[in-house]
Order: sequence, then C-alpha cells, then structure tokens
Amino acid sequence: MEDYEPTIIAFTCNWCTYTAADLAGTSRLSYPPNVRLIRVMCTGMVDPKYVIKALLEGADAVLISGCHIGDCHYMNGNLKARRRVKLLKELLPRFGFDEQRVKLTWIGASDGIQFAETITEMVPKLKALGPNEVRNQMVL
Amino acid sequence: MSKLQSQKDYEDFRDQVKKERDPERLLVSICAGSGCGAYGTEEVREALEQEVSKNGLKQKVEVKVTGCHGFCEQGPIMVIHPQGIFYPKVKPADIPEIVAETIVKGEVIKGKLYKDPVSKKRIQKEEDIPFYKGQHRIVFGNNGMIDPAKIDDYIAVDGYSALVKVLFSMSPEEVISAIKESGLRGRGAGGFPTGIKWETCRKAHGDIRYVMCNADEGDPGAYMDRSLLEGNPQSVLEGMIIGAYAIGSHDGFIYVRNEYPLAVKNIGIAIKQAEEYGLLGKNILGSGFDFTVKISRGGGAFICGESTALMRSLEGQVGRPRAKYVHTVDKGYRDSPSTLNNVETWANVPVIINKGAEWYASLGTERSKGTKVFSLVGKVRNTGLVEVPMGASLRTIIFDIGGGIPKKRKFKAVQTGGPSGGCIPEDLLDLPVDYQRLAEVGSIMGSGGMIVMDQDTCMVDVARYFLDFLQEESCGQCVPCREGIKRLLEILTDICAGNGKEGDIELLEELAGTVSKLSLCALGGTAPNPVLSTIRYFRKEYEAHIYDKKCPSGVCKELFYYEIDEKKCNGCHVCFLRCPQEAISGEKKKPHTIDQEKCIKCSICYESCKVDAVAIK
Amino acid sequence: MVTFTLNGRQVEAEEGSTILEVAETYNVKIPTLCNHKALEPAGLCRLCTVEVYDGRRTRFVTSCNYPVWGGMEVKTDSEDVIRHRKMIVELLLARCPNNEFVKGLAAEFGIEATRFKLEEDDCVLCGLCVRMCAERMGVSAISMTGRGTDIRVETPFQIKSDACQVCGACESVCPTGRIDVREIAKYEPRPLLSDWEVGLQERGAAYMPFPQAVPLAAVIDGEACAHVRTGNCGVCREFCEAGAIDLDMKEEIIEVEVGSIILATGYDLMDPSPMKQYGYGVYPNVFTSLEFERLSNATGPTGGVILIRDENGELTVPPKSVAILHCIGSRDVNHHEYCSRVCCMYALKYGHLIKEKVGHETKVYNFYIDLRCFGKGYEEFYRRLQEEGITFIRGKAAEITDQAITPEEEGKLVVIGEDTLLGKRLRVPVDAVILCMAMEARSDALDVGRIFGVSQGADGFFLEEHPKLGPLNTATDGVFIAGACQGPKDIPDAVSQASGAAAKSLALATLGKVLVPSTISWIDPNICAGCQTCIGLCPYTAIEFDARRGVSVVNEALCKGCGSCAGFCPSGAAQVRHFNQKQIFAELDGVMDAISAVGI
Ligand SMILES: Cc1cc2nc3c(=O)[nH]c(=O)nc-3n(C[C@H](O)[C@H](O)[C@H](O)COP(=O)(O)O)c2cc1C
Ligand code: SF4
Ligand code: SF4
Ligand code: SF4
Ligand code: SF4
Ligand code: SF4
Ligand code: FES
Ligand code: FES
Ligand code: FES
Repeated sequence: MEDYEPTIIAFTCNWCTYTAADLAGTSRLSYPPNVRLIRVMCTGMVDPKYVIKALLEGADAVLISGCHIGDCHYMNGNLKARRRVKLLKELLPRFGFDEQRVKLTWIGASDGIQFAETITEMVPKLKALGPNEVRNQMVL
Repeated sequence: MSKLQSQKDYEDFRDQVKKERDPERLLVSICAGSGCGAYGTEEVREALEQEVSKNGLKQKVEVKVTGCHGFCEQGPIMVIHPQGIFYPKVKPADIPEIVAETIVKGEVIKGKLYKDPVSKKRIQKEEDIPFYKGQHRIVFGNNGMIDPAKIDDYIAVDGYSALVKVLFSMSPEEVISAIKESGLRGRGAGGFPTGIKWETCRKAHGDIRYVMCNADEGDPGAYMDRSLLEGNPQSVLEGMIIGAYAIGSHDGFIYVRNEYPLAVKNIGIAIKQAEEYGLLGKNILGSGFDFTVKISRGGGAFICGESTALMRSLEGQVGRPRAKYVHTVDKGYRDSPSTLNNVETWANVPVIINKGAEWYASLGTERSKGTKVFSLVGKVRNTGLVEVPMGASLRTIIFDIGGGIPKKRKFKAVQTGGPSGGCIPEDLLDLPVDYQRLAEVGSIMGSGGMIVMDQDTCMVDVARYFLDFLQEESCGQCVPCREGIKRLLEILTDICAGNGKEGDIELLEELAGTVSKLSLCALGGTAPNPVLSTIRYFRKEYEAHIYDKKCPSGVCKELFYYEIDEKKCNGCHVCFLRCPQEAISGEKKKPHTIDQEKCIKCSICYESCKVDAVAIK
Repeated sequence: MVTFTLNGRQVEAEEGSTILEVAETYNVKIPTLCNHKALEPAGLCRLCTVEVYDGRRTRFVTSCNYPVWGGMEVKTDSEDVIRHRKMIVELLLARCPNNEFVKGLAAEFGIEATRFKLEEDDCVLCGLCVRMCAERMGVSAISMTGRGTDIRVETPFQIKSDACQVCGACESVCPTGRIDVREIAKYEPRPLLSDWEVGLQERGAAYMPFPQAVPLAAVIDGEACAHVRTGNCGVCREFCEAGAIDLDMKEEIIEVEVGSIILATGYDLMDPSPMKQYGYGVYPNVFTSLEFERLSNATGPTGGVILIRDENGELTVPPKSVAILHCIGSRDVNHHEYCSRVCCMYALKYGHLIKEKVGHETKVYNFYIDLRCFGKGYEEFYRRLQEEGITFIRGKAAEITDQAITPEEEGKLVVIGEDTLLGKRLRVPVDAVILCMAMEARSDALDVGRIFGVSQGADGFFLEEHPKLGPLNTATDGVFIAGACQGPKDIPDAVSQASGAAAKSLALATLGKVLVPSTISWIDPNICAGCQTCIGLCPYTAIEFDARRGVSVVNEALCKGCGSCAGFCPSGAAQVRHFNQKQIFAELDGVMDAISAVGI
C-alpha cells in the first residue's frame, strides 16, 4: 500500500481556518495535497450528518476546524461543534469507522503554518491507518 | 372584715368602732416614729407590755404604738390618756415605776415629766408644753392617737368621713371648688393652688388621668412627709381618693423614697387595709367609683422630687426634669394628664372637706391659707415638727415654740425652705411666714424646712454648704445649673479658704442671676438663694472673708485663730485638760495661752470655757 | 394660626410651633447649641433663651422648645438675654477651654477669657449624641450617666457596647468632636469610602456621586443607610428642603425599547495589592495612578494640593521626591501583555504637576520600559519635561522597600531597579511612589457581553466585529462599543470612538430599515417538528416559536447565519441559506467525483 493516498475532507470555518488555509497558500507553504476544503460559516453549523456523509462518500478522514475557543465569530458555535464531535466520536465505531478518522482543531485566521502542519501530521497517520473500507463493506 | 358597701355600712361601722372605745379607758400611747424608734421605742413597748400583763392590767390598759408626735428629740415619747400625761425620753427601766405610779395609782411622777428648757419648769400635760401649745395641729393632730397599722384607729377619729361625704353628696366639680375656695396651696415647694391644678387636670384632654403623691422628700432635715406617712397614712390615702374622684382618675401612685422603710411599710399596710374595707379599689363603698394606688419606691435623688423628673422616674427613665412649658396636668406620666401633690397637701384635703373650705380659709393669711408643718432644726432648744397657721411669725416659731437659742448664744439667721432656701436675718424675725413674704425676703417656703443658726455660724460657709449639697443633687443636664452651681461653689470655697478676691461678690451675684433665671427646673432656679440671701443680709461677712481674710464667726479654719483673753481667763484649766492637741499651756488660776502652731481649731476650748475667755480673732 | 410680637414686630405662626421655628422663618437669628432639626428639643444648653412677656411678668424661656401662643411678646436679643447667654458661654468655655468649637463659640460672643477656673473637658453635654442614638437610631448605646457635675456621656458600665451599630450618627452631631465611635463600639468602625475619590476620602450613606454627575442628584447607599438597614434614622429627610428623599424606594427593572445600544462600560484599574513587591497597601505612600489623579485634582480630597500621608495616615505633607513606575501590570507576561497606552502620557503630566504644584526642587523619577509618546504634541511634551528636570530611568522598577541601607534612605521608600541604558543597578529613595497600573477589562465584562451578545478578546476587552472594517461594531447588529471597554485608550481616542458609535447608531436610525445578510437561517415549517431545540441554541435569540402553527420561526433581522440551529435540527428543518444540506452534499459529491476522476 505504498501508493495509498488518503483523502481528507475539511469543514473549515469561514472566519478562521478557511482564511488560514488561504494564508498557507499565499505564504507558499507546502503541505500534502490530500485535503479538500468545504467552507462553512461556522463549525457550529456542521451537522454530524455531513461528516458521516463524507466518510460514506469515500473520504478517509474528516477535519473540522474553526476559531479558537472564545474567538468564534458567532460567540460559541465552536463550543457547540466540540460537543457534537465528542458525541460523534462515540458513535463512529458503531458504523465501523475508526474514531481517528474525525479530527477537530482550532486554527486561527493568521495560522497558515498551523494549518499546513495539521495536514502534514494527519497524512502519515492516516496512511498507517489504511484506507477507509467501510463504504465498500456496506450492504445496501 | 367584709367590704363596706355603702354609706350606711361605713357609718354603722364607724359608730361601732367609736362605741367600743371608752374615752375614760386608760390608754398609753408610745411613739414609734423613726425618731423615737431610734431612741428605743421597741424596748420600751416590750417592757411596758410585760409589766402590764405582770400586773394583770391587760383588760384595763390599752397600749397604742403610734406614729411621730413631732417632738422627736424628746423620744421615746409616752403619753398617758385620758389625763394626757407626757413622759419624754422613756427608758425600759422607767416602766415599772410608771406602771406602778401612774397607771395603777394615777399619780404623776414629777421627776419624769418634761422640763421646759426656758422656764426650767416641769410640765405635766402634752398640750401645755410650749412646743405644742403654740401649734395648731390640723393634719398632725391625730398622729398621737392612731396606730398606723390599724385603719380602725383612723376611722375612730372620723377618718374617711370626708370621702363618704364627697362620694355621696358632692359632685367632682363641687369638690374642686371647695378646694379652690379653701385656698389650699401645694405644700411640696411651689405653692401652686391645688384646686386650680385639679381643675386643669380634670379638663385636660385624655382618657386616662393619674393622681400621684410626692413622698420623695429630698430636703435634708425635713421629715414631715415621712412622719405623716409613717404615722397617719390613711389620711394621705383619703386625700388622694378624694382628689382622684374630683379629677376623674382611677390610678394613683405614691412615689416614696426607699430610704423611708417604715413609711413604705405603713403606707403598704394602709393600702391593703383600705382595700379590704372597700375604701380603695373597685366600686368604693358601692359608689361606683374605682381607684387603685400603687407604691413606687424611688432611689432617693433630691431631683426626683421635682414633678417632671418624678414622672420620668415612674416611667422607668432617668429622673431628670423636662421643661414644663407643657404642664404635667396636660401631659405628665405616660403623656397623660397627671396631678402630683405633696404628702402634706393630700393630708389637708380630708380636713378641708370635713371642716369646710370657709373654716380652712379662715386660717392663715390673705393668700396663704391653712397651716403648714415646719421641721424646726438647728440651733434651737426644741427641735421637731411644728404645725402652725400660715402667717405665724418666725419669732413665734423659733422662740415661742422652739424655745429660742440654746447655750446663751445669739440668734443669727434662719434658713427656710430646704437647701435652696434663703437665710433670713434677725431684723426680719417678725416676718409672718407665708409664700409671698418669704419670697419677698429672698427665701422660699419650700417643703417647710427651717434651720436656725446662731452667732457661731459663718454665713459664707452656710452658703457654701448648701451649694455643695445642690451641686451633688443637681441632675446636671442643663448648663446654668450644672456649671453655674459648680462655679458658685468654687468661688465660695475659695472665699472660705481665704482665697477670695475683689470682684468675687459681684461675680457671685452675676452668675447667681443667670443660674436662677436660665435653669431648666426649679432646682437651678432656686439654688442661688442661699448665696444671694447671705450676700444680701450678711455682705459684711463676705467682705471680712475677702478683704480682711477673717471669718468673724470662727468657722472657716484658714481665717481665724483662737486666743485666750488674759483679762477674762480665770485659769480654771478646763481648756488645758480638754485640748486634744495639748496646745494650751498655763498654770491653774493663771491666764492660759494657746500655741497657734499646735492648735487645729477644733473649737473645744471655745465651747468649754465658762467665762468666754477664748476669743475668735 | 396665632399672632404675637417678635422683637416688636407682629408675626403669625402655626399653633404648636416653637419660638425658634418662628424666628427662623422671620430671619431672626437665635443661637442654639443642643438643638438639632432631627431631634426633639431638650432645652439643655439654655443658649437659645429669649424673653417672653405675658402681660404680667417677663420670663426667660428656651426658644427651641417653647410653644408660641397668641398675644405673647418675645424679645430675642434684649440686654438681659444677651448677658445671660454670654454667661452660659463663659461657663462652657471654662469647662472646655481648649476645645476649638467652644473657643469659636466664645469668640462669637466676644468672650476672650473666662473668669472661672479652667477645666479640661471636650464635652459640653449638649446630649445631641445620646438623643440621636436613642431617638433616631433606636439604639441607646450611650447615655448621660451620673448626676450633677458627674454627668457624662458613656456606655452602660463603660463597657464597649455591642448594641452600638457603629453608624457614627453620634459623631456626626457632636459639635465639639468629643464623641468617638471607637470608644463606644465593640466593633471597629468601617468608614464609607468614596469610590469617586478611590477611597481617599470618606462619604456619608447619602452622597453626591461626583461633582459632575448627571443628573446632579444625591444617592443613598442602601448597604450603608441606617434607615434601609434598620428602619430607623431617616434624618436626611429632616434636612432635605426639597423633600426629595424617598427612603422607601425599591429597586425596579425598567424596560426601554431602543433601536441600538452603545456599550461604553469603561475599564477597571488593575489592583496592585497582589504584586507584593510594590508594597501597595503596606506602605501608605505608595499610590495608584488613579489615586494620584485625585490627589492632584482641584476637586479631589486635598483640593488639588499634592500631599502625601503623614504618620497618622492623614494627607498633610508635600512630598520632596516622587517615583513614577510605568507599566505596572502592562507589557508584562505575568499579567497583561498589552500596553495600556495612556500611562506614559499621564505619568509625564504627573511629573509636570508635581514640579509645578509642589515646587521645582521636588525630585521626580520615571522608571519606564519605553516612552510611547505617539500622539499629537506628545513628543514635544516629553522633551519639555526632560528640560524641566525630571529624571527618566529606562528600566522597569523591580521592588519597593522601606529597609534603608544608607542614612539617606532612612524613613524613605526605596525604589530598586536597573538603569538598562547604563547597565547599572539603582536604589532611589523617595517619599512617594505612583504605580501606573494597567487598565483592564471590567470584572463583569463577561456577564455584560453575554447580555448584549458581545464577545471578549483574549485580553478580556470587548471584541469589535473587525479591527479595521468594524471597529465600533460587535457581533450583534445594533450593539456598538466605545471607549476603554474595547481596549485601553486615552480620552481623545475614547471621544472619537464614542462619536463614531453614536454616528453609527444614528445611521441605523435614519436609514429606517435594517440590512440583513443573505446567509441566514430558514426553518421549513413543513418539516419543523416544533421541538424548539434550536431556540435554546441560537446565540442571538433569533428564533421564536409560533404557537399557532407549532413551529419555530427565524427572525431574519436578528439571525446571523451561524448555523447553530442547522447543525443540530433533528428534522433538518433549519437550514442556513447558501449552506443548506443539499448544497453541502452536492459540494461533497463534486469534490469526491473530482478526486476519483483525477486521483489525488
Ligand atoms: C428640686 C426639686 C425637688 C423637689 N422635691 C420635692 C419633694 O421632695 N417633695 C415634694 O412634695 N415636692 C417636691 N418638689 C416640688 C414638686 O416639683 C411639685 O411641685 C410638688 O410635688 C407638687 O405638689 P404640691 O402642689 O402639693 O406641692 C420639688 C421640686 C424641685 C424643683
Ligand atoms: S436646673 Fe439643675 S436640676 Fe434642673 S434640669 Fe437643670 S441641671 Fe437638672
Ligand atoms: S455609632 Fe453607636 S453610639 Fe453612635 S449613634 Fe450609632 S449606634 Fe449610637
Ligand atoms: S459628646 Fe458631643 S454631642 Fe455628646 S453631649 Fe458631648 S458635646 Fe454633645
Ligand atoms: S436615612 Fe438618610 S441620614 Fe439616615 S443613614 Fe440613611 S441616608 Fe443617612
Ligand atoms: S442560524 Fe444561527 S442565528 Fe440564525 S437562527 Fe440559526 S442559530 Fe440562530
Ligand atoms: S465562526 Fe469560526 S468557529 Fe464559529
Ligand atoms: S418620732 Fe416620736 S415624736 Fe417624732
Ligand atoms: S438650643 Fe434651646 S436649650 Fe439648647
């Protein structure tokens, strides 16, 4: 499985992580190309369904990333996201997903570097975990 | 005893009591007032009762223990009725003889009779003794006939007949107008017309009215109130019930100083007995009128005799006067209309009702009616309680009744009205004593204290002495009285100590003016009297103290010394023997001398020299 | 109504009033001492004595408690009256010859000396204290005990009273200053300190908040007011001529409907007490910058005279040297990393004021990290001060001590620091130290933020919508911020910001409509189950429940489009426009399609 490249779907908050990713790009930081961003207005609007949907669609991991605690543009959307992700992680194994496939981080708008590092760290870990097979095992 | 429930009940009972008393029966009355008691009445009574029963005379002789007869210095006093034989200073050892001679045989024991100090004659009958002869005893007269613990004794002398008359034949208004017509004025100090006081109180707004008896008697030396309460408490009670009826009050208080234990006891007994007889309490004698009396015992502060202070004290507050711009008859005890009268005032009331206002008004002077009890003390031969009609002259009281000045000394002044009265000099001795005249000469009637002073009295020292008392007794709340009396006293003390300065007399006068005019209550208002009157009549003595540094009367120790007049001294050696300091030297039959260094001015030599050779220099 | 003559003049008065009251209304002055508006007259001092002629005789009565009656003739200043009053005062002077009040009273009466022996007392026994305590406080912790010349004001048995409520009412009426609550009360009195004067001055329970307060009306401190606490007192009512005091006022919540709100809640000055090295609260002459501001202010406790504390803690001595310590709590990783922005300039101002008011020989040392004189004319001011002879030491002061090691340091405060320009350690002895404390967010900023939907930045100050694009806006539309609640700033900045915020609210009002973003939520009423979960989740209270239809409805003017509702809505009825489930899923599909088409 040398050439296995995991796919990461990232739900990024419009006000911070999305901007951070932008910054990473304009700063010409290099990081693995395994991530695809889906912009949301706030992590608080990420319905757990979206995560599961992404995993079912074949993503190997989902990253939810928003503003630092206390910095949420909508006051506390990120706190709500944190609660939901914690619950979601309890549920994931029942669907056969490894809970490591979902990750929640806080990356501020000016943290291009941190965004790049986050992705850089994620990819080898996912490689070690192997591809997300659940979709294929699913009996529909 | 069941309650008397009607006028008739009372009359029947009274007649029965009277009938039981045989006027010819032998009656030995022994005085157990505080004065005689202190001389040993109790022992005398015991001895007498023993002796009487030993001789089997119990049925024949009645022994009556009475209240004060007024002549306390002669105590214990014994009077044997019906003859009226008067034995003074009776000792238990005298009893067997008295029983054997006077009671059994009816013989008078000459040697035991009273010896008049003026005429040096023995006098047999009470009423012939000069001390009593000059008196007119309408409130005190019954004291010698009544055992204060026995209401029957009071009823036997027509006690409570005035109450019966009032309850059943007079309206409250009629009572008030009788009192007004009688001209009775307060005997406590102020001399306020009693009838007017009652009338105002009756008319004042309020549902509850209080009637009070002022038995605080703070004047040192005065004890007529005590003697009345001790000796004839029922008369005071009867007066109060009549007053309550007139005013429309149902609650009464007797405010008596706790230092009068016998008075407290006797008035307590009197209240209890009157209640038992239906003369006090609910529905008195079936008339529908209710009145109860409580005793309140005061701590004995002079100022608590002042009406507003007394009421505050009754309320449980500190006894300090308040301004009387709103009178106590309108707002007194607990802000209700209250009538406060003196013990003696109350005791006069039944007399007025019984004998009539007109009769009463015939006694006394134009604006002072009736009699007044004085407590005659000091440098006078007969001391005691003296009841005379208003208007009697000082001379009558001091010389006729009081027997004049002892030890060949000369009269110098008399102070009337208690500590804040003025001192009246010799040339005013013919002054008729009544409220106006006393005020005119710078003194007051007060409660009737009368202190006689002889030539050996220093008038500056007298003023100092009274001011010292008043400084202690001032309640201290208002500036002129507290600070003023203190300063008056300070100046007087300086003068007596030889530190008087020019201007002191004027300063005393100026300050005294402010103290008397601005003080809140009458204590401060009258406190300067001793100073002002002594300055007025004895200014020279002040000047001698201040300018010559001499106390002419030989009282102020810093300001005189004793010297033996060589010409007069006969060398009797008495002073030599008596001087505690051995300051006197001299051989017998030769003139003696005093060593001034050793002399402490104790005055023993001065008093003991038969030939008046010791002189004040 | 009764009519009588007052000093020869016909006057009318209410029945039951006293001569003194009537005289007052006719502007006739009568001296008093033991009288007090709030107390029943007692007539103890007799100073208010006047002459009353009743048609028969003349009497001297005390005007404070003598009720007027028709036909009386009153003279308030006859020769006799004046003579007697003078004697009263002379007596009092002899009693209290060293008391300032009594001396003043004597002077008023033209009395220079008394003819009586001098005593040493401070109490004129007016009884005001005792009556105040009993009549108005209902306590009676003190009373006049004893009799005659022994009369005294004291507690029962001279034991410190635990009945005393330590209200100080007695002290407040004592004319001579004799009475001392500390001698009466079992408990230590706690002075009421003026917030405005940062505790440098005491105030009453009723007080003016500050000289320029709007409205300029007194307030009553309910926690201190004896009436509020015990139902007694109420003395202030007696004095307020306008009858404005309402002691039965209750707290109430007033609802006002407004179109916009400006938060201008200000800042807190950092409390230096925990920074033990600076000895605040230990050394009396270490002041905070705000305290020094009051000390140098003309309306302050010293009337603008710069004074420091003497050994009794009273502000009486002018300092000979002062150290001003910059950046205490600011630019400090242990406290606040930010710069408080105003300290440099006020520190310069203080230096200038000290030189000017106390004298040019006064030494002023500034211990600074950097001097940030960024404003208009600021740098010039800095230069001028350097020329005025103020010492600037670059290096933050480390410690203040009173442990002297040289004779010059004896009795002084020693500032220990380092001059980083010279690389030298320093010990500077001074009389007083001013700590330029950091400005920090109000302690209740979190609660206030919650109410108005405004978040705090990491520094605790309110967060603006955008540092450049929305510096006055907040996350909540219609709520603006101005002044130091947003971050440390000086007065000019605060004023500009406030003007801006005001303009912004006005702009909203003049527009007459509200612009709403397109990215907002919508709840599909056909799907909504009416569970109302979203209502609790919405941080902007934008969702209401429509009881008739049994569904939740989004208020479009309030919704910000955060999607908190959409992220949870169990039925999927709540959806943020442009970010609804359909769109996200489609986006996902697209992404995954592309990946499978091209690989990574
Ligand atoms: C200082 C002072 C002390 C007084 N003491 C007494 C007293 O001991 N007994 C008394 O009857 N009246 C005393 N009085 C007078 C009372 O105030 C009051 O006038 C009196 O009791 C009224 O009763 P009367 O009208 O029967 O005298 C005193 C007055 C003053 C000012
Ligand atoms: S005059 Fe004297 S006793 Fe009377 S109230 Fe004044 S201080 Fe008290
Ligand atoms: S401080 Fe104490 S003594 Fe003074 S008025 Fe208040 S309760 Fe009374
Ligand atoms: S302590 Fe003051 S208020 Fe109290 S009585 Fe003395 S002077 Fe008057
Ligand atoms: S009632 Fe008035 S005077 Fe009394 S404590 Fe309260 S504010 Fe002060
Ligand atoms: S999107 Fe956010 S603001 Fe809008 S209704 Fe939903 S929770 Fe409230
Ligand atoms: S706005 Fe970024 S997480 Fe809420
Ligand atoms: S007590 Fe006996 S005569 Fe007075
Ligand atoms: S003020 Fe009237 S007596 Fe003191």
